[in-house]
Amino acid sequence: MNAPVIELRNLQVRAGKRTLLDLDRFQLGAGETVTLLGPNGAGKSTLLRCCLGIQPPASGEVRVLGQRLSELGFLAATRLRRVIGYVSQFPPVQGELPLTVREVVAIGRTGLAGVFRPLRAEDWRIVDEWLERLGAGHLAQQAFSELSGGEQRKVMIARAMAQEPRLLLLDEPTANLDLGWRERMVETIQNLVEQTQLAILLVCHEIEVIPPGCHRVVLLHEGRIMADGSPESVLSHQQIQSLYGPGLAVLHNRGRHAVVPACSI
Amino acid sequence: MFDLTFWLPVMCGGLIAGGSSGLLGVFIVGMRIPFLGVCVAHAALAGAVFGSLLGLTGQALLIPALLGAVATALALGLLDPRRTRMDDNVLLGFLFSFTMGLAFLGIGLFGVLGRSDNDVRSLLWGSLNFCRWRDVWLMLGAAAALAGYVFTFFKELRAILFSREDALAAGIHAPAVWTGFLILAAATLTVNFQTVGGLMIYSLITNPAAAAFQLVKGFRRALVLAVVLGAASGLGGFLISAATDLPSGATIVLLSSVFVALAGLARTSFKRWTASGAGR
Repeated sequence: MNAPVIELRNLQVRAGKRTLLDLDRFQLGAGETVTLLGPNGAGKSTLLRCCLGIQPPASGEVRVLGQRLSELGFLAATRLRRVIGYVSQFPPVQGELPLTVREVVAIGRTGLAGVFRPLRAEDWRIVDEWLERLGAGHLAQQAFSELSGGEQRKVMIARAMAQEPRLLLLDEPTANLDLGWRERMVETIQNLVEQTQLAILLVCHEIEVIPPGCHRVVLLHEGRIMADGSPESVLSHQQIQSLYGPGLAVLHNRGRHAVVPACSI
Repeated sequence: MFDLTFWLPVMCGGLIAGGSSGLLGVFIVGMRIPFLGVCVAHAALAGAVFGSLLGLTGQALLIPALLGAVATALALGLLDPRRTRMDDNVLLGFLFSFTMGLAFLGIGLFGVLGRSDNDVRSLLWGSLNFCRWRDVWLMLGAAAALAGYVFTFFKELRAILFSREDALAAGIHAPAVWTGFLILAAATLTVNFQTVGGLMIYSLITNPAAAAFQLVKGFRRALVLAVVLGAASGLGGFLISAATDLPSGATIVLLSSVFVALAGLARTSFKRWTASGAGR
Protein backbone atom coordinates (compact mmCIF):
# COMPACT_ATOMS: atom_id res chain seq x y z
CA MET A 1 0.00 0.00 0.00
CA ASN A 2 1.24 3.50 -0.84
CA ALA A 3 2.25 5.71 2.05
CA PRO A 4 -0.24 8.49 2.72
CA VAL A 5 0.55 11.85 1.11
CA ILE A 6 -0.50 13.63 4.29
CA GLU A 7 -0.54 12.07 7.72
CA LEU A 8 -1.37 14.04 10.85
CA ARG A 9 -1.23 12.49 14.32
CA ASN A 10 -2.21 14.02 17.67
CA LEU A 11 -1.91 17.46 16.10
CA GLN A 12 -2.54 20.54 18.19
CA VAL A 13 -2.21 24.09 16.93
CA ARG A 14 -2.72 26.99 19.31
CA ALA A 15 -2.86 30.76 19.05
CA GLY A 16 -2.18 31.98 22.58
CA LYS A 17 -4.54 30.04 24.81
CA ARG A 18 -6.98 29.30 21.99
CA THR A 19 -6.82 25.89 20.33
CA LEU A 20 -7.15 26.22 16.55
CA LEU A 21 -6.74 22.51 15.72
CA ASP A 22 -6.95 19.39 17.82
CA LEU A 23 -6.85 16.27 15.63
CA ASP A 24 -6.16 12.68 16.67
CA ARG A 25 -5.52 11.42 13.17
CA PHE A 26 -6.00 12.56 9.56
CA GLN A 27 -4.76 10.98 6.34
CA LEU A 28 -4.85 11.86 2.67
CA GLY A 29 -3.94 9.01 0.34
CA ALA A 30 -2.19 9.17 -3.02
CA GLY A 31 -4.60 10.15 -5.80
CA GLU A 32 -7.30 10.92 -3.27
CA THR A 33 -9.46 14.07 -3.28
CA VAL A 34 -10.65 15.13 0.15
CA THR A 35 -12.79 18.13 1.02
CA LEU A 36 -12.43 19.81 4.41
CA LEU A 37 -15.76 21.34 5.24
CA GLY A 38 -16.74 23.46 8.19
CA PRO A 39 -17.89 26.87 9.32
CA ASN A 40 -15.58 29.88 9.56
CA GLY A 41 -12.95 29.41 12.25
CA ALA A 42 -13.17 25.60 12.16
CA GLY A 43 -9.42 25.30 11.53
CA LYS A 44 -9.55 24.35 7.83
CA SER A 45 -7.01 26.88 6.55
CA THR A 46 -4.81 26.26 9.60
CA LEU A 47 -4.68 22.58 8.65
CA LEU A 48 -3.52 23.47 5.12
CA ARG A 49 -0.85 25.79 6.47
CA CYS A 50 0.37 23.04 8.82
CA CYS A 51 0.78 20.73 5.81
CA LEU A 52 2.85 23.44 4.09
CA GLY A 53 5.03 23.83 7.16
CA ILE A 54 4.27 27.54 7.52
CA GLN A 55 2.12 27.05 10.63
CA PRO A 56 4.13 25.26 13.32
CA PRO A 57 2.02 22.99 15.56
CA ALA A 58 2.17 23.15 19.33
CA SER A 59 2.42 19.35 19.43
CA GLY A 60 1.87 16.28 17.29
CA GLU A 61 3.26 15.01 14.06
CA VAL A 62 2.83 16.24 10.48
CA ARG A 63 4.09 13.99 7.71
CA VAL A 64 3.84 15.19 4.12
CA LEU A 65 5.00 13.02 1.22
CA GLY A 66 6.66 10.72 3.75
CA GLN A 67 8.67 13.48 5.43
CA ARG A 68 8.19 14.54 9.02
CA LEU A 69 8.05 18.36 8.85
CA SER A 70 9.46 18.92 12.34
CA GLU A 71 12.68 17.19 11.27
CA LEU A 72 13.18 19.29 8.15
CA GLY A 73 15.56 22.21 8.13
CA PHE A 74 14.75 25.43 6.29
CA LEU A 75 16.29 24.28 2.99
CA ALA A 76 14.64 20.83 3.07
CA ALA A 77 11.25 22.38 3.90
CA THR A 78 11.67 24.82 1.00
CA ARG A 79 12.50 21.90 -1.35
CA LEU A 80 9.43 19.99 -0.17
CA ARG A 81 7.15 22.97 -0.85
CA ARG A 82 8.25 22.90 -4.50
CA VAL A 83 6.15 19.77 -5.03
CA ILE A 84 3.15 21.09 -3.11
CA GLY A 85 0.81 23.34 -5.08
CA TYR A 86 -0.92 25.79 -2.76
CA VAL A 87 -3.66 28.23 -3.70
CA SER A 88 -4.42 30.67 -0.90
CA GLN A 89 -7.88 31.91 -0.06
CA PHE A 90 -7.51 35.27 -1.78
CA PRO A 91 -5.12 36.25 -4.57
CA PRO A 92 -2.66 38.93 -3.39
CA VAL A 93 -3.84 42.52 -3.77
CA GLN A 94 -1.91 43.82 -6.75
CA GLY A 95 -2.80 47.48 -7.17
CA GLU A 96 -1.00 48.70 -10.25
CA LEU A 97 1.73 46.05 -10.25
CA PRO A 98 2.29 45.29 -13.95
CA LEU A 99 3.09 41.55 -13.71
CA THR A 100 1.56 39.66 -16.61
CA VAL A 101 -0.50 36.51 -16.14
CA ARG A 102 2.30 34.45 -17.73
CA GLU A 103 4.81 35.87 -15.24
CA VAL A 104 2.51 35.03 -12.33
CA VAL A 105 2.12 31.42 -13.49
CA ALA A 106 5.91 31.24 -13.94
CA ILE A 107 6.26 31.72 -10.16
CA GLY A 108 5.28 28.05 -10.00
CA ARG A 109 8.48 27.15 -11.89
CA THR A 110 10.76 29.57 -10.02
CA GLY A 111 11.65 27.36 -7.05
CA LEU A 112 12.01 24.25 -9.24
CA ALA A 113 14.41 25.99 -11.64
CA GLY A 114 16.88 26.53 -8.78
CA VAL A 115 18.74 29.59 -7.59
CA PHE A 116 21.10 31.38 -10.05
CA ARG A 117 19.36 29.76 -13.05
CA PRO A 118 16.88 31.56 -15.28
CA LEU A 119 13.71 29.81 -16.36
CA ARG A 120 14.35 27.58 -19.37
CA ALA A 121 12.23 27.08 -22.49
CA GLU A 122 10.82 23.91 -20.93
CA ASP A 123 9.62 25.90 -17.89
CA TRP A 124 7.83 28.40 -20.12
CA ARG A 125 6.30 25.54 -22.13
CA ILE A 126 4.80 24.12 -18.92
CA VAL A 127 3.55 27.59 -17.94
CA ASP A 128 1.82 28.01 -21.32
CA GLU A 129 0.47 24.47 -21.21
CA TRP A 130 -1.27 25.01 -17.87
CA LEU A 131 -2.66 28.35 -18.96
CA GLU A 132 -4.15 26.63 -22.03
CA ARG A 133 -5.42 23.62 -20.06
CA LEU A 134 -7.27 25.89 -17.66
CA GLY A 135 -8.69 27.99 -20.49
CA ALA A 136 -6.66 31.08 -19.60
CA GLY A 137 -4.23 31.04 -22.54
CA HIS A 138 -5.81 34.16 -24.03
CA LEU A 139 -5.02 36.09 -20.82
CA ALA A 140 -1.28 35.30 -20.89
CA GLN A 141 -0.07 38.81 -21.75
CA GLN A 142 -2.64 40.70 -19.69
CA ALA A 143 -1.71 42.30 -16.38
CA PHE A 144 -2.82 40.04 -13.51
CA SER A 145 -4.22 43.08 -11.67
CA GLU A 146 -6.65 43.76 -14.53
CA LEU A 147 -8.35 40.34 -14.35
CA SER A 148 -11.67 39.59 -12.68
CA GLY A 149 -11.68 37.71 -9.36
CA GLY A 150 -12.63 34.43 -11.08
CA GLU A 151 -9.92 34.79 -13.74
CA GLN A 152 -7.36 35.55 -11.04
CA ARG A 153 -8.36 32.40 -9.14
CA LYS A 154 -7.88 30.31 -12.31
CA VAL A 155 -4.45 31.82 -12.86
CA MET A 156 -3.52 30.99 -9.27
CA ILE A 157 -4.49 27.36 -9.86
CA ALA A 158 -2.42 27.38 -13.08
CA ARG A 159 0.50 28.72 -11.02
CA ALA A 160 0.15 25.88 -8.51
CA MET A 161 -0.18 23.27 -11.28
CA ALA A 162 2.87 24.64 -13.11
CA GLN A 163 4.85 23.29 -10.14
CA GLU A 164 3.81 19.81 -11.35
CA PRO A 165 2.94 19.12 -7.74
CA ARG A 166 2.36 15.78 -6.02
CA LEU A 167 -0.09 17.40 -3.64
CA LEU A 168 -2.53 20.24 -4.33
CA LEU A 169 -3.90 22.35 -1.47
CA LEU A 170 -6.84 24.58 -2.40
CA ASP A 171 -8.03 27.04 0.23
CA GLU A 172 -11.58 28.15 -0.57
CA PRO A 173 -11.00 28.59 -4.30
CA THR A 174 -14.52 29.92 -4.81
CA ALA A 175 -14.55 32.52 -2.00
CA ASN A 176 -16.24 35.77 -3.14
CA LEU A 177 -17.01 34.45 -6.64
CA ASP A 178 -20.40 34.80 -8.30
CA LEU A 179 -22.47 31.73 -9.14
CA GLY A 180 -21.21 31.47 -12.73
CA TRP A 181 -17.55 31.62 -11.73
CA ARG A 182 -18.18 29.28 -8.81
CA GLU A 183 -19.47 26.62 -11.20
CA ARG A 184 -16.53 27.16 -13.57
CA MET A 185 -14.13 26.65 -10.65
CA VAL A 186 -15.91 23.44 -9.60
CA GLU A 187 -15.59 22.22 -13.20
CA THR A 188 -11.88 23.14 -13.20
CA ILE A 189 -11.26 21.21 -9.98
CA GLN A 190 -13.26 18.25 -11.28
CA ASN A 191 -11.12 18.22 -14.44
CA LEU A 192 -7.98 18.16 -12.28
CA VAL A 193 -9.42 15.24 -10.28
CA GLU A 194 -10.17 13.31 -13.49
CA GLN A 195 -7.06 14.18 -15.50
CA THR A 196 -4.30 14.06 -12.88
CA GLN A 197 -3.25 11.51 -10.30
CA LEU A 198 -2.86 14.24 -7.72
CA ALA A 199 -3.74 14.09 -4.07
CA ILE A 200 -6.02 17.10 -3.58
CA LEU A 201 -7.05 18.66 -0.29
CA LEU A 202 -9.84 21.17 -0.86
CA VAL A 203 -11.06 23.55 1.81
CA CYS A 204 -14.52 25.09 1.51
CA HIS A 205 -17.49 26.00 3.61
CA GLU A 206 -20.17 25.55 0.95
CA ILE A 207 -21.11 21.99 0.11
CA GLU A 208 -22.14 23.11 -3.39
CA VAL A 209 -18.43 23.53 -4.18
CA ILE A 210 -17.54 19.88 -3.54
CA PRO A 211 -16.67 18.37 -6.95
CA PRO A 212 -18.35 15.11 -8.04
CA GLY A 213 -14.98 13.33 -8.00
CA CYS A 214 -14.41 14.02 -4.31
CA HIS A 215 -13.65 10.77 -2.48
CA ARG A 216 -14.09 11.88 1.12
CA VAL A 217 -15.50 14.76 3.09
CA VAL A 218 -14.11 15.69 6.49
CA LEU A 219 -16.28 17.86 8.70
CA LEU A 220 -14.33 20.16 10.99
CA HIS A 221 -15.84 22.09 13.86
CA GLU A 222 -13.89 24.15 16.40
CA GLY A 223 -10.68 22.46 15.38
CA ARG A 224 -11.95 18.88 15.74
CA ILE A 225 -13.05 16.30 13.20
CA MET A 226 -16.79 15.68 13.55
CA ALA A 227 -17.15 13.24 10.67
CA ASP A 228 -14.98 11.65 8.00
CA GLY A 229 -16.31 9.51 5.16
CA SER A 230 -17.90 9.46 1.73
CA PRO A 231 -19.74 12.69 0.79
CA GLU A 232 -23.17 11.04 0.94
CA SER A 233 -22.54 9.54 4.38
CA VAL A 234 -21.04 12.68 5.92
CA LEU A 235 -23.37 15.23 4.36
CA SER A 236 -26.48 14.04 6.14
CA HIS A 237 -29.33 16.27 7.37
CA GLN A 238 -28.28 15.59 10.96
CA GLN A 239 -24.61 16.50 10.43
CA ILE A 240 -25.43 19.67 8.54
CA GLN A 241 -28.00 20.72 11.13
CA SER A 242 -25.59 20.09 13.99
CA LEU A 243 -22.97 22.16 12.20
CA TYR A 244 -24.98 25.05 10.77
CA GLY A 245 -28.22 25.01 12.79
CA PRO A 246 -31.72 23.55 12.46
CA GLY A 247 -34.06 23.90 9.50
CA LEU A 248 -31.58 22.78 6.84
CA ALA A 249 -31.65 19.78 4.52
CA VAL A 250 -29.19 18.36 1.99
CA LEU A 251 -29.86 17.37 -1.61
CA HIS A 252 -27.55 14.96 -3.46
CA ASN A 253 -27.58 14.62 -7.23
CA ARG A 254 -24.93 12.94 -9.41
CA GLY A 255 -22.10 13.64 -7.02
CA ARG A 256 -23.11 17.24 -6.38
CA HIS A 257 -24.64 18.42 -3.13
CA ALA A 258 -26.69 21.42 -2.03
CA VAL A 259 -28.09 22.76 1.21
CA VAL A 260 -31.70 23.96 1.09
CA PRO A 261 -34.27 24.97 3.73
CA ALA A 262 -35.85 21.78 5.13
CA CYS A 263 -39.30 23.21 4.52
CA SER A 264 -38.66 23.39 0.77
CA ILE A 265 -38.43 19.61 0.25
CA MET B 1 29.84 79.81 -18.19
CA PHE B 2 29.10 76.07 -17.82
CA ASP B 3 32.27 74.46 -16.45
CA LEU B 4 32.04 70.81 -17.52
CA THR B 5 34.89 69.61 -15.29
CA PHE B 6 32.98 70.90 -12.26
CA TRP B 7 29.50 69.86 -13.35
CA LEU B 8 30.24 66.47 -14.96
CA PRO B 9 30.33 64.58 -11.61
CA VAL B 10 27.10 66.37 -10.66
CA MET B 11 25.43 65.16 -13.87
CA CYS B 12 26.75 61.63 -13.35
CA GLY B 13 25.53 61.74 -9.74
CA GLY B 14 22.05 62.75 -10.88
CA LEU B 15 22.02 60.03 -13.52
CA ILE B 16 23.13 57.26 -11.13
CA ALA B 17 20.97 58.39 -8.19
CA GLY B 18 17.96 58.57 -10.54
CA GLY B 19 18.62 55.18 -12.11
CA SER B 20 19.28 53.31 -8.85
CA SER B 21 16.33 54.95 -7.09
CA GLY B 22 14.11 54.05 -10.06
CA LEU B 23 15.22 50.42 -9.75
CA LEU B 24 14.51 50.40 -6.00
CA GLY B 25 11.19 52.10 -6.59
CA VAL B 26 9.79 49.16 -8.58
CA PHE B 27 10.00 47.05 -5.40
CA ILE B 28 9.16 49.77 -2.90
CA VAL B 29 6.10 50.96 -4.83
CA GLY B 30 5.18 47.43 -5.94
CA MET B 31 5.25 46.11 -2.38
CA ARG B 32 3.61 49.26 -1.03
CA ILE B 33 6.34 50.10 1.48
CA PRO B 34 7.05 53.78 0.69
CA PHE B 35 8.03 54.26 4.34
CA LEU B 36 11.23 52.28 3.67
CA GLY B 37 13.12 55.37 2.43
CA VAL B 38 12.24 57.48 5.49
CA CYS B 39 12.93 54.60 7.85
CA VAL B 40 16.35 53.85 6.35
CA ALA B 41 17.25 57.58 6.40
CA HIS B 42 16.58 57.83 10.13
CA ALA B 43 18.34 54.55 10.90
CA ALA B 44 21.39 55.87 9.01
CA LEU B 45 21.10 59.16 10.92
CA ALA B 46 21.02 57.29 14.25
CA GLY B 47 24.08 55.27 13.19
CA ALA B 48 25.98 58.41 12.16
CA VAL B 49 25.02 60.25 15.35
CA PHE B 50 26.35 57.50 17.60
CA GLY B 51 29.41 57.07 15.34
CA SER B 52 30.13 60.78 15.79
CA LEU B 53 29.63 60.53 19.54
CA LEU B 54 32.20 57.71 19.54
CA GLY B 55 34.69 60.05 17.90
CA LEU B 56 34.35 59.35 14.16
CA THR B 57 34.44 62.36 11.86
CA GLY B 58 33.89 63.36 8.21
CA GLN B 59 33.36 60.60 5.64
CA ALA B 60 34.16 57.92 8.23
CA LEU B 61 30.64 58.54 9.55
CA LEU B 62 29.29 56.77 6.48
CA ILE B 63 30.31 53.46 8.11
CA PRO B 64 28.08 53.70 11.22
CA ALA B 65 25.36 55.25 9.01
CA LEU B 66 25.50 52.18 6.76
CA LEU B 67 25.52 49.89 9.79
CA GLY B 68 22.39 51.57 11.17
CA ALA B 69 20.60 51.33 7.83
CA VAL B 70 21.61 47.70 7.27
CA ALA B 71 20.57 46.71 10.82
CA THR B 72 17.12 48.13 10.13
CA ALA B 73 16.95 46.29 6.81
CA LEU B 74 17.89 43.04 8.59
CA ALA B 75 15.19 43.56 11.20
CA LEU B 76 12.62 44.23 8.49
CA GLY B 77 13.67 41.23 6.42
CA LEU B 78 14.08 38.68 9.18
CA LEU B 79 11.10 39.51 11.38
CA ASP B 80 8.28 37.27 10.24
CA PRO B 81 5.08 39.36 9.81
CA ARG B 82 2.97 36.34 10.86
CA ARG B 83 4.86 35.95 14.12
CA THR B 84 5.11 39.64 14.95
CA ARG B 85 1.47 40.11 13.82
CA MET B 86 2.54 43.34 12.14
CA ASP B 87 2.48 43.98 8.42
CA ASP B 88 5.52 45.54 6.77
CA ASN B 89 4.20 49.09 6.98
CA VAL B 90 3.40 48.83 10.70
CA LEU B 91 6.83 47.30 11.31
CA LEU B 92 8.42 50.12 9.28
CA GLY B 93 6.46 52.65 11.33
CA PHE B 94 7.79 51.08 14.52
CA LEU B 95 11.39 50.93 13.26
CA PHE B 96 11.11 54.52 11.97
CA SER B 97 9.94 55.86 15.33
CA PHE B 98 12.55 53.79 17.20
CA THR B 99 15.48 54.94 15.02
CA MET B 100 14.23 58.53 15.00
CA GLY B 101 14.07 58.43 18.80
CA LEU B 102 17.63 57.08 18.93
CA ALA B 103 18.84 59.76 16.49
CA PHE B 104 17.27 62.62 18.47
CA LEU B 105 18.56 61.17 21.72
CA GLY B 106 22.06 61.17 20.22
CA ILE B 107 21.65 64.72 18.85
CA GLY B 108 20.57 65.81 22.33
CA LEU B 109 23.77 64.32 23.71
CA PHE B 110 25.82 66.58 21.40
CA GLY B 111 24.41 69.57 23.32
CA VAL B 112 24.98 67.89 26.68
CA LEU B 113 28.59 67.13 25.75
CA GLY B 114 29.08 70.57 24.16
CA ARG B 115 30.05 69.17 20.74
CA SER B 116 29.06 70.12 17.18
CA ASP B 117 26.75 67.91 15.11
CA ASN B 118 27.59 69.56 11.75
CA ASP B 119 29.37 66.46 10.43
CA VAL B 120 26.29 64.34 10.99
CA ARG B 121 23.93 66.79 9.34
CA SER B 122 26.11 67.28 6.24
CA LEU B 123 26.59 63.54 5.83
CA LEU B 124 22.91 62.72 5.65
CA TRP B 125 21.43 65.69 3.86
CA GLY B 126 23.80 66.34 1.00
CA SER B 127 23.12 68.33 -2.16
CA LEU B 128 23.56 67.16 -5.74
CA ASN B 129 25.44 70.36 -6.63
CA PHE B 130 28.28 69.35 -4.30
CA CYS B 131 28.60 65.85 -5.73
CA ARG B 132 32.24 65.02 -6.58
CA TRP B 133 33.89 62.07 -8.34
CA ARG B 134 34.48 60.23 -5.06
CA ASP B 135 30.74 60.37 -4.38
CA VAL B 136 29.99 59.25 -7.93
CA TRP B 137 32.16 56.15 -7.56
CA LEU B 138 30.51 55.33 -4.24
CA MET B 139 27.03 55.69 -5.73
CA LEU B 140 28.04 53.71 -8.79
CA GLY B 141 29.39 50.90 -6.60
CA ALA B 142 26.15 50.70 -4.57
CA ALA B 143 24.00 50.91 -7.73
CA ALA B 144 26.06 48.20 -9.47
CA ALA B 145 25.77 45.89 -6.45
CA LEU B 146 21.99 46.44 -6.36
CA ALA B 147 21.59 45.92 -10.12
CA GLY B 148 23.76 42.77 -9.97
CA TYR B 149 21.62 41.39 -7.17
CA VAL B 150 18.38 42.12 -9.05
CA PHE B 151 19.84 40.47 -12.18
CA THR B 152 20.98 37.39 -10.20
CA PHE B 153 17.73 36.91 -8.30
CA PHE B 154 15.47 38.26 -11.05
CA LYS B 155 12.90 35.45 -11.01
CA GLU B 156 12.86 35.13 -7.20
CA LEU B 157 12.36 38.89 -6.75
CA ARG B 158 9.55 38.83 -9.33
CA ALA B 159 7.81 36.14 -7.25
CA ILE B 160 8.38 38.04 -3.99
CA LEU B 161 7.05 41.22 -5.56
CA PHE B 162 3.85 39.34 -6.38
CA SER B 163 3.47 37.92 -2.87
CA ARG B 164 6.06 36.98 -0.26
CA GLU B 165 3.76 34.34 1.22
CA ASP B 166 2.97 32.77 -2.16
CA ALA B 167 6.67 32.77 -3.04
CA LEU B 168 7.49 30.99 0.23
CA ALA B 169 4.67 28.48 -0.34
CA ALA B 170 5.99 27.77 -3.86
CA GLY B 171 9.39 26.69 -2.51
CA ILE B 172 11.32 29.92 -3.09
CA HIS B 173 13.91 31.12 -0.55
CA ALA B 174 11.82 34.26 -0.08
CA PRO B 175 13.03 35.44 3.36
CA ALA B 176 16.72 35.13 2.43
CA VAL B 177 16.38 36.75 -1.01
CA TRP B 178 14.20 39.57 0.35
CA THR B 179 16.54 40.27 3.28
CA GLY B 180 19.51 40.43 0.89
CA PHE B 181 17.61 42.88 -1.29
CA LEU B 182 16.68 45.07 1.71
CA ILE B 183 20.33 45.22 2.84
CA LEU B 184 21.46 46.42 -0.59
CA ALA B 185 18.51 48.79 -0.79
CA ALA B 186 19.48 50.29 2.59
CA ALA B 187 23.10 50.69 1.50
CA THR B 188 22.10 52.32 -1.81
CA LEU B 189 19.66 54.67 -0.10
CA THR B 190 22.22 55.72 2.53
CA VAL B 191 24.87 56.47 -0.10
CA ASN B 192 22.34 58.37 -2.23
CA PHE B 193 21.01 60.35 0.75
CA GLN B 194 24.44 61.57 1.79
CA THR B 195 25.27 62.62 -1.77
CA VAL B 196 22.12 64.12 -3.22
CA GLY B 197 19.70 64.64 -0.31
CA GLY B 198 16.45 63.16 0.93
CA LEU B 199 13.76 65.09 -0.93
CA MET B 200 15.16 64.13 -4.30
CA ILE B 201 15.60 60.46 -3.37
CA TYR B 202 12.03 60.10 -2.05
CA SER B 203 10.62 61.45 -5.30
CA LEU B 204 12.99 59.35 -7.43
CA ILE B 205 11.93 56.20 -5.59
CA THR B 206 8.23 56.78 -6.12
CA ASN B 207 7.72 58.69 -9.35
CA PRO B 208 9.67 56.72 -12.00
CA ALA B 209 8.19 53.41 -10.78
CA ALA B 210 4.68 54.87 -10.63
CA ALA B 211 5.06 56.20 -14.20
CA ALA B 212 6.49 52.88 -15.46
CA PHE B 213 3.60 50.92 -13.89
CA GLN B 214 1.18 53.13 -15.84
CA LEU B 215 2.87 52.55 -19.16
CA VAL B 216 4.02 48.93 -19.45
CA LYS B 217 3.06 45.37 -18.60
CA GLY B 218 5.72 42.92 -17.47
CA PHE B 219 8.35 42.96 -14.72
CA ARG B 220 11.39 43.35 -16.98
CA ARG B 221 9.87 46.24 -18.93
CA ALA B 222 8.77 47.99 -15.73
CA LEU B 223 12.28 47.67 -14.28
CA VAL B 224 13.97 49.02 -17.41
CA LEU B 225 11.51 51.89 -17.83
CA ALA B 226 11.69 52.90 -14.15
CA VAL B 227 15.51 53.02 -14.36
CA VAL B 228 15.37 55.06 -17.60
CA LEU B 229 12.78 57.50 -16.22
CA GLY B 230 14.72 57.82 -12.93
CA ALA B 231 17.98 58.53 -14.76
CA ALA B 232 16.19 60.95 -17.14
CA SER B 233 14.69 62.79 -14.14
CA GLY B 234 18.08 63.05 -12.41
CA LEU B 235 20.00 64.24 -15.46
CA GLY B 236 17.17 66.16 -17.16
CA GLY B 237 16.22 67.96 -13.94
CA PHE B 238 19.80 69.05 -13.44
CA LEU B 239 20.12 70.32 -17.06
CA ILE B 240 16.87 72.30 -16.68
CA SER B 241 18.22 73.73 -13.45
CA ALA B 242 21.50 74.70 -15.15
CA ALA B 243 19.68 76.36 -18.05
CA THR B 244 17.20 78.27 -15.88
CA ASP B 245 19.22 78.88 -12.71
CA LEU B 246 16.52 77.20 -10.63
CA PRO B 247 17.37 74.86 -7.69
CA SER B 248 18.35 71.44 -9.06
CA GLY B 249 16.56 69.40 -6.36
CA ALA B 250 13.27 71.09 -7.17
CA THR B 251 13.60 70.72 -10.96
CA ILE B 252 14.48 67.02 -10.62
CA VAL B 253 11.49 66.35 -8.33
CA LEU B 254 9.15 68.31 -10.60
CA LEU B 255 10.40 66.63 -13.78
CA SER B 256 9.84 63.17 -12.25
CA SER B 257 6.33 64.30 -11.23
CA VAL B 258 5.68 65.47 -14.80
CA PHE B 259 6.62 61.95 -16.01
CA VAL B 260 3.95 60.47 -13.72
CA ALA B 261 1.32 62.93 -14.97
CA LEU B 262 2.24 62.29 -18.63
CA ALA B 263 2.18 58.51 -18.08
CA GLY B 264 -1.27 58.77 -16.48
CA LEU B 265 -2.50 60.90 -19.38
CA ALA B 266 -1.04 58.50 -21.94
CA ARG B 267 -2.65 55.51 -20.26
CA THR B 268 -6.07 57.17 -20.01
CA SER B 269 -5.92 58.31 -23.64
CA PHE B 270 -4.88 54.82 -24.79
CA LYS B 271 -7.75 53.23 -22.87
CA ARG B 272 -10.25 55.68 -24.36
CA TRP B 273 -8.82 55.09 -27.82
CA THR B 274 -9.09 51.30 -27.53
CA ALA B 275 -12.55 51.54 -25.92
CA SER B 276 -13.78 53.66 -28.84
CA GLY B 277 -12.75 50.88 -31.22
CA ALA B 278 -10.15 52.98 -33.01
CA GLY B 279 -7.38 50.75 -31.77
CA ARG B 280 -8.78 47.61 -33.37
